[in-house]
Amino acid sequence: MGLDRLRRTSKSGARAAGAALLVAVLAGCGSHGRPKRLLYGEAAAEFRPVAGSVISQGRVLRRTTLGRRLESCLFPGDRAAIPADAVVVERIGVSGESLTFANRRHTGIYACDGGVDPAGERPLPWCGTAFGRLVDGRLLDPRLDVLCQDRKGHSLGYAFVEPVAGARWIGVDQGSYTEIYEVLAGLPVRVASARNVRADEAKAEFDVTQYDVHGRELVTAKLEAAVAG
Amino acid sequence: MKAFLVCAGVGLVLAAATGAQAYHRFWASCNYDAPTFMTTMTRDAVQDYANAARYEGYQWGGGCWNYDDVDSYPNDALGDSSTHGEGGDCSGFVFKTWRESQDTWRDGRYYWRALRNAHGPYSASAFKYGNGAPNHVISKSSAATMDAFASDWHIGMVFYRSLYGGDQIVEAKCETCGTNIFYRTYRSDSSYGGVARWGWTG
Repeated sequence: MGLDRLRRTSKSGARAAGAALLVAVLAGCGSHGRPKRLLYGEAAAEFRPVAGSVISQGRVLRRTTLGRRLESCLFPGDRAAIPADAVVVERIGVSGESLTFANRRHTGIYACDGGVDPAGERPLPWCGTAFGRLVDGRLLDPRLDVLCQDRKGHSLGYAFVEPVAGARWIGVDQGSYTEIYEVLAGLPVRVASARNVRADEAKAEFDVTQYDVHGRELVTAKLEAAVAG
Repeated sequence: MKAFLVCAGVGLVLAAATGAQAYHRFWASCNYDAPTFMTTMTRDAVQDYANAARYEGYQWGGGCWNYDDVDSYPNDALGDSSTHGEGGDCSGFVFKTWRESQDTWRDGRYYWRALRNAHGPYSASAFKYGNGAPNHVISKSSAATMDAFASDWHIGMVFYRSLYGGDQIVEAKCETCGTNIFYRTYRSDSSYGGVARWGWTG
């Protein structure tokens, strides 16, 4: 009798432990929420006004400071077109990284896009370079790049977003979280996403929300971009 | 007055429908068929393909044309591929002419029919940097027939090499100038680099 109870107790205990384990596993498997780390392992900060968001790290540097990190991305023929002390915006996000800078006459914007080159021709960290012509200070199109892949082999889409008047933060819906980019140095913001990238059609869609300095929404729109030019 | 308004309304509807139909007639012929895998790709054959696309127009982000020697939908706005005009843009034209794959890691040869709407994953800048398994950077002095010169914003292929400073370049240039062969000095222009396709068979 005592033994039976013991067996029952141990059975129900095992069941409870199993259920707890299942819950834990499911919780772990289902943790598609906010990533806790950026690409190189830095802790991911949250943008308070947007619950569950991740702030992509953004820094304003000079070309000379970046040194080989930038030079390795540039085509040799372009080096003279960019001032030695050019202002460069470096961004490191959850799955992408980029450099953005203007040419000497501010007639165009360059971007170095980070990730794995599936053709294996470009060593990390850069897998693509984009150039957008400025007409009256604005880009003609978002200069979509779909050539890169993230570390899991998913196609990464990169595109420029032009901040609207008063925008200080740009949010891109990444599915389970929103990635936030700070508007820096008066340059268009190079955003990255592995969501809604159709590499076989050379197209991608980005769900973009722009916020003011206090995190108030200014504009929400879908950016439909295509590779061209 | 009432009759006049009715007539004016009918006229406006008919005018709009005529425009839409003219637009639709061309785009309705475009398709998304699979390309044909080829084992060969000669410079002569590719030159013929590019030559046949002359006068067919330019479409930003586009890649569908017929062979009637007329741009069916000229003067679309730049930066919007959804206008569905006729012709490729510069990089889309090179992509189809060079028989490339939509997958950047494939270096095989894929024949795209003119009416197959395809742009490919490369911008002019991506070609310039030799991105993609089928592409590579070359010195401009070695650029031969159907190799290309690419800048950050444009790419054109060498149709005939000239001995007098410039080249005859076949390119999809702009909405107003369309796709054609033009005399260009890209070879001596520092903003342009040389780029070529791997895998010629003749």
